[in-house]
Amino acid sequence: MRALRTAASGMSAQQLNVEVISNNIANMNTVGFKRQRAEFQDLLYQNVERMGAQSSSQGTVVPTGIQIGAGVKAGSVYRITDQGSPTQTGGRYDVAIDGRGYFQILLPSGETAFTRAGNFALNGEGQLVTDDGYAVQPNISIPQDAVDVTISKTGQVQVITAGQTEPSIVGQLELASFFNEAGLEAIGDNLLMETAASGAANVGTPGEVGFGQLLHGYTEASNVDAVAEISALIIAQRAYEMNSKVITTADQMLSVSAQVKS
Amino acid sequence: MENAAYVGLSRQMTLRRELDIVANNIANADTTGFKVEQLLVGAEVGDRARNAFIRPGVSFVLDNGVGRDYGQAGLEQTGRNLDFGIEGEGAFFTLSDGAGEAYTRDGAFTLDPEGRLTTQGGAAVQGDGGEIILDRSLGEPAVAADGTISQNGNPVGRLSIVRFDTLAALEKGGDGLYRNASNATAIDATDVQVRQGMLEGSNVNPILEITNLIRIQRAYESVTRMIENANDLSRRAVERLGRA
Repeated sequence: MRALRTAASGMSAQQLNVEVISNNIANMNTVGFKRQRAEFQDLLYQNVERMGAQSSSQGTVVPTGIQIGAGVKAGSVYRITDQGSPTQTGGRYDVAIDGRGYFQILLPSGETAFTRAGNFALNGEGQLVTDDGYAVQPNISIPQDAVDVTISKTGQVQVITAGQTEPSIVGQLELASFFNEAGLEAIGDNLLMETAASGAANVGTPGEVGFGQLLHGYTEASNVDAVAEISALIIAQRAYEMNSKVITTADQMLSVSAQVKS
Repeated sequence: MENAAYVGLSRQMTLRRELDIVANNIANADTTGFKVEQLLVGAEVGDRARNAFIRPGVSFVLDNGVGRDYGQAGLEQTGRNLDFGIEGEGAFFTLSDGAGEAYTRDGAFTLDPEGRLTTQGGAAVQGDGGEIILDRSLGEPAVAADGTISQNGNPVGRLSIVRFDTLAALEKGGDGLYRNASNATAIDATDVQVRQGMLEGSNVNPILEITNLIRIQRAYESVTRMIENANDLSRRAVERLGRA
């Protein structure tokens, strides 16, 4: 009976939906996290009676035909890259991106990863690094005797060293942008990797056309909307239950047939 | 005498098919742009037996087709600027993929590495002047109600939204796509509106479908019982006649 398999496809789709929603909720307070959404599509259709087929020798045709669908599948799980709200942290090396773009991070493997999470820190050599100690690209070193650090909207890093009154520029933060941000591959630790789907990174200065500005002393909160996620969770649960009801019904109908007395 | 069993069987077969369709509707209760379907069932009058003028002809049950309800489903706000919902029944976005033209109500689009507007499955979305290419560095795309896409106030294309004189011309192709199965021509739909940041949900009514499920199950049980009874009748007739 096809209905059993169709309903099973519905249940596994809703299970995936719940997994995506739970990941969103779990990352509600993750800096720079972008929520994801599961999008479903119908599966193949079987043409039992093709529409437009001749129904008599007089040239009459079947107007609608009979097409029976085989259920549902996950079409894609895509990231919704809208802006998360900037949260004031006062952190000395916290930078939020207001607009488009990603920070570039050098992984220990030598590859470049991308992130929206700008909660940076310094390592032992005074280099600007992520939580995991991966260096921000291009390299920025803060001198040991720096008293105050300012990061401008356009990414200029200025420090005032002890005994000085004039700030000196020690580096320039850059951003990378992509044609298709949703095509970036998440590798965990708030990091994303470039793929064939995202297109090549286009590097530019913050504040340029097509790039966001930087906010020093802020981090970008996740863009997860708790209310929307919880209502999506309820819908997913009910849909799951309805599909299980179909399985029960199909099973009972089969059992009725199997118990016919001959 | 066997007619009762055959008539019952014809009903059982359509009920099973109906169950398959209801199962597909429920499985797609959360599918973007899905349109609910229903089996159209009619009576097929069989020929009269040659020498039994007094008895009416036997009517079998036959499924004539699948009706599709193209009614508008609710628009769900997603807040993503490449999600589009059509407000207006029976109109579709035009796509082009390897198999030719396709139509869809699922407006969750994305960009490919070259900046072409495509579906999540990679089919190119068609505008009035062919494919739509967006360069995101020129600003976020904004879409007007008539489908015109602009970046920074400069129009870059218009989504091609079409409708058909007869919706029966469309065949579902899976993946949320419809294909033109007849020679009906697509006409520009000027009376519908595009909503950016919204997606059209599925127009499946869960309560109706669950009620259908119960109705199908009960009908199946009673037809099965009827077949059993007819069977019983003929068995007893054979027993009695055997004794005589």
